[in-house]
Amino acid sequence: MNLSRPDRLLRLDALASAYVLGTLPGRARQRLARIAQTDTVVAATIRAWEQRLSPLAEAAPPITPSPRLWRVIALRLGLEPVRHSAPGPWWTRIGFWRGFALASFTAALALAVTMLMPKPEVPGQPLVVVLAGPDAKPALIATLLRGDRTLTVKAVGGEPVPPGKSLELWMLPDGAAPRSLGVIPASGVGRVTLPAPTDVALAGVPALAVSLEQAGGSPTGAPQGPVLYTGKVERFY
Amino acid sequence: MAVPATSDKSARLAALLARIALGDQSAFGEFYEVTSPHLYGVALRILRDPPAAEEILQEAYVNVWHHAGSYEVAKSQPLTWLTSIVRNRCLDQLRRRELDTVTLTSDDDDAPAYDLPSDAMTPAEMLLAGAEARSVRDCVDALEGGPKQAIALAFYQGLSHSELAAHLQQPLGTVKSWVRRALERLKSCLDGAGYVRNE
Repeated sequence: MNLSRPDRLLRLDALASAYVLGTLPGRARQRLARIAQTDTVVAATIRAWEQRLSPLAEAAPPITPSPRLWRVIALRLGLEPVRHSAPGPWWTRIGFWRGFALASFTAALALAVTMLMPKPEVPGQPLVVVLAGPDAKPALIATLLRGDRTLTVKAVGGEPVPPGKSLELWMLPDGAAPRSLGVIPASGVGRVTLPAPTDVALAGVPALAVSLEQAGGSPTGAPQGPVLYTGKVERFY
Repeated sequence: MAVPATSDKSARLAALLARIALGDQSAFGEFYEVTSPHLYGVALRILRDPPAAEEILQEAYVNVWHHAGSYEVAKSQPLTWLTSIVRNRCLDQLRRRELDTVTLTSDDDDAPAYDLPSDAMTPAEMLLAGAEARSVRDCVDALEGGPKQAIALAFYQGLSHSELAAHLQQPLGTVKSWVRRALERLKSCLDGAGYVRNE
């Protein structure tokens, strides 16, 4: 079908209008979209309809998406922390951490008390990361000893993981893309091995995050699914 | 051809896109803050499924980050460009679902019953509210009740012909001709009023 011949223009206009409105049925819709990729007349006819109808779309009531959406986008793109302009990546925002502050503080305090005043600069002192969701309820607690390479992750809450999905733990280095630490179990205790001893591996890593990925983890090396939990790296030494 | 009357907002978004094309993350953050509530509203009304709507937006913004440089100022305004991308993805998804579940060749008669989200405004009211430019409002206003409602439900909520027929309790053929005629009238009215911004 050659849609760009003059005698077809009326038909094309009707198809393009139905395409933009949304009423063009599935197969015809796919066909027209395919043709528009190479046929400039078809593409221009569709664009003209988009411009006719766009003022209608632009004034419909806005609905603010969950803050999670920006976090996931920033994580997927590996956006670096920026200055104070605009919103910036989520993990650089004060307000973001404020939500986690109480949970982190409570867990940190409990841990500090058990350890009876950790002394600074003593090897063997633990590092703890409380990973919590937007509701600030701790879901996972990650601990490791200084100089050790094994990070222990204990599930203390959080949502059940749907079948066919896995939780994946990420380091969020300052100014670089997230790095995977591997898949962790959704319940009980799991262990992941760091690429280097704590001080080296987590130097310049202010936070960890857990995303929901396909079973076995993200195949691309970058988070693909939504970020469920995040936590600030707290040092007790 | 240049865009004749670019609003302040469009100019600002176009400037942000230019910075995004150069890898400016703060521009990207600002662009997201300004545009995401609008795009999410568009997607959620069509898909009625927050995770699905978020997924469409996620892809759209990842694309904006990677392909901001391919946005052509001369061809359409930024929000129109982005809204079209999001609406098309949502509609593709809806229509694909229909292809997956329905064996008939085109829009058919067994219309699934949808729970329409209770927006503060009805689609028909949005249609009028959306018609900010006087010419658009006049043109929308000139449509008759049934066709106006059909256009509004299709545009804002992605209803297919058969869904429109069920929702409006009209024969399929009636709804189809309402939609077709309403689009023809809108076009001649808008183009006659010199509305189309650039072609």
